[in-house]
Amino acid sequence: MSMERLLAKHIFEEWLYHEAKCLDEIEFDRWFNLMHPDLRYEMPVRVNKEGMERPDYATDMFAFQDDINTLKMRVERLKTEYAWAEMPPSRTRRFVSNVRVAEFEDHQRAVVNSYLLIYRSRSTDIEHDLISGERRDEFKYLDGDWKLSKRFFLVDQTTLNTRNLAIFV
Amino acid sequence: MIKTDVRLDDMTRGEIVRYLENTVEPEEGIIPAYIMSDPAVYDLEHEKVFLKTWLFLGHESEIPNNGDFVTRDLAGYSVIVSRNQDGVIRAFYNMCTHRGMKLCRADKGNKARFTCPYHGFTFKNSGELIGVPMQKDIYGGKLDFEAMGLHQVTIETYKGLIFGTFNDTPQDFSEFLGDFKWYLDIAVGRTDMEVVGPPQKFIINSQWKIGADNFVSDSYHTMVTHGSIAKLGMVPNATYSKKGYQVHTENGHGCNIGMPNPDFAFPEELIPEYKAHLSPQQFDMMADLKNMIGTIFPNLSFLVSHTEVKGKLISNTTVRLWRPIAVDKMEVITWFLVEKNASEDWKHRSRESYILTFSPSGIFEQDDTEVFTDITGAASGHVPFAKNYTYNYTMGKHRVPVKDFLGPGIVYDDKFTEANSRSYYRYWLDLMKA
Repeated sequence: MSMERLLAKHIFEEWLYHEAKCLDEIEFDRWFNLMHPDLRYEMPVRVNKEGMERPDYATDMFAFQDDINTLKMRVERLKTEYAWAEMPPSRTRRFVSNVRVAEFEDHQRAVVNSYLLIYRSRSTDIEHDLISGERRDEFKYLDGDWKLSKRFFLVDQTTLNTRNLAIFV
Repeated sequence: MIKTDVRLDDMTRGEIVRYLENTVEPEEGIIPAYIMSDPAVYDLEHEKVFLKTWLFLGHESEIPNNGDFVTRDLAGYSVIVSRNQDGVIRAFYNMCTHRGMKLCRADKGNKARFTCPYHGFTFKNSGELIGVPMQKDIYGGKLDFEAMGLHQVTIETYKGLIFGTFNDTPQDFSEFLGDFKWYLDIAVGRTDMEVVGPPQKFIINSQWKIGADNFVSDSYHTMVTHGSIAKLGMVPNATYSKKGYQVHTENGHGCNIGMPNPDFAFPEELIPEYKAHLSPQQFDMMADLKNMIGTIFPNLSFLVSHTEVKGKLISNTTVRLWRPIAVDKMEVITWFLVEKNASEDWKHRSRESYILTFSPSGIFEQDDTEVFTDITGAASGHVPFAKNYTYNYTMGKHRVPVKDFLGPGIVYDDKFTEANSRSYYRYWLDLMKA
């Protein structure tokens, strides 16, 4: 691995850890500031196909399919006094791993894949939810910072074993 | 006094039914909490409701071509719903008739025949057994192929919706839907509609009836549970949900009709199509519709919702199944429907509004799930049963139905009443007693 690639891997690992911290600490405005205005934020529905047929996700149905405007609405909603789904907020812990920089042009753009495991604890429940999947992210460099311009989250369940997606992936 | 000596799981079926008759009083608006949580009631419900009535399986547009199939759940059992080579839709119990292996394990696909992964028995998608490896040798040519076809499941369709039942002598399907068809036509049959994508599925630790009940009558909760939506400017104000009508027909079906609407909630270029598919009265209602939320007994709900997203009005249409998995757990399965001949822009924006509002990430949906979970928790255990804690469903009991409405059924002239729930639980109780 070249020094440039090694550095890029480090940069995006740090970026993803920082993002995880913002979300886990319910700092939605700080999190939202990490997004690029061109953002496409997608989570397709995973499907159970015959044999080895691929892709095993829907290309026409999504649990999230947001741009910067609808994502802004979600963030604003969570700040109203009626957002019951996350009041009080879930305790979440996002574990990011297997970070691979697939494409990288310094100060331009990057494609970064990683794995994500979200632990979610609600209220006084002793049971927890786990949401596992792969992120395929794209970044653009804007005003001295890397901003997320595309997130594609490939979840590992066809039936989501969590009561809602009032949290971000 | 807490009745620690009385428990439903010690009772015979007949005793449970009598206990229900004595404690569930739909007309009085008295619904005991234990019917949401008692395992004995849940087991009886499986037999008396889910093995008796018509249940939703899917939409014809999900299997448009010959050979297309989906696997679906019917009352807790896997069935294959397949469009055969002759274009006819049939459904089969998803089990090989040889030694009982689950025949098909994909959600969806296209196949003229299904081959069992265990011993290679092969069935046509019309159910006939057509191939058994080495059968001449090992069965001496004596295997009765004709007797070994897949177990067929009774299905019927209405306006693209496919329903099935394991009941050998079910109620006539057309009578089951009855007058409610008038409203269903507007919700899902106003013109040719198609399902886009696979259904979305997620799990809530909630008793299934709470969802069905919420959609059949509860417009009142919108003010509070969904208060964040008005704050965001997606709907006019927090009391918008009161305006309109609540309607129920026979067999527990019911809906809430949000009216009036200064804007036309659907693609205007399709007005000739709507007029061709609907009666003039149905079209008049549709033209003034703001939203429509209802339940077809027992567990299929539907929703037409008109909101403002990114400064533009858009509507979306969904149907959803509250599929019981356990007494305190259900799978919610949601299908998105759209007019087949709508513009690509409309279809795109309608899907976007569905995902934003009523998908698993939907900003309406997610607040409901929190409520459903916590109602289920509070209803569970011996105390709510032994203390006979009940819910109050008396809202609107003093009101008189309106006459001369556009459509059939018992109609109230605003949506804040629990009349539909009283009718829903009456039919539920009648089935439990039957």
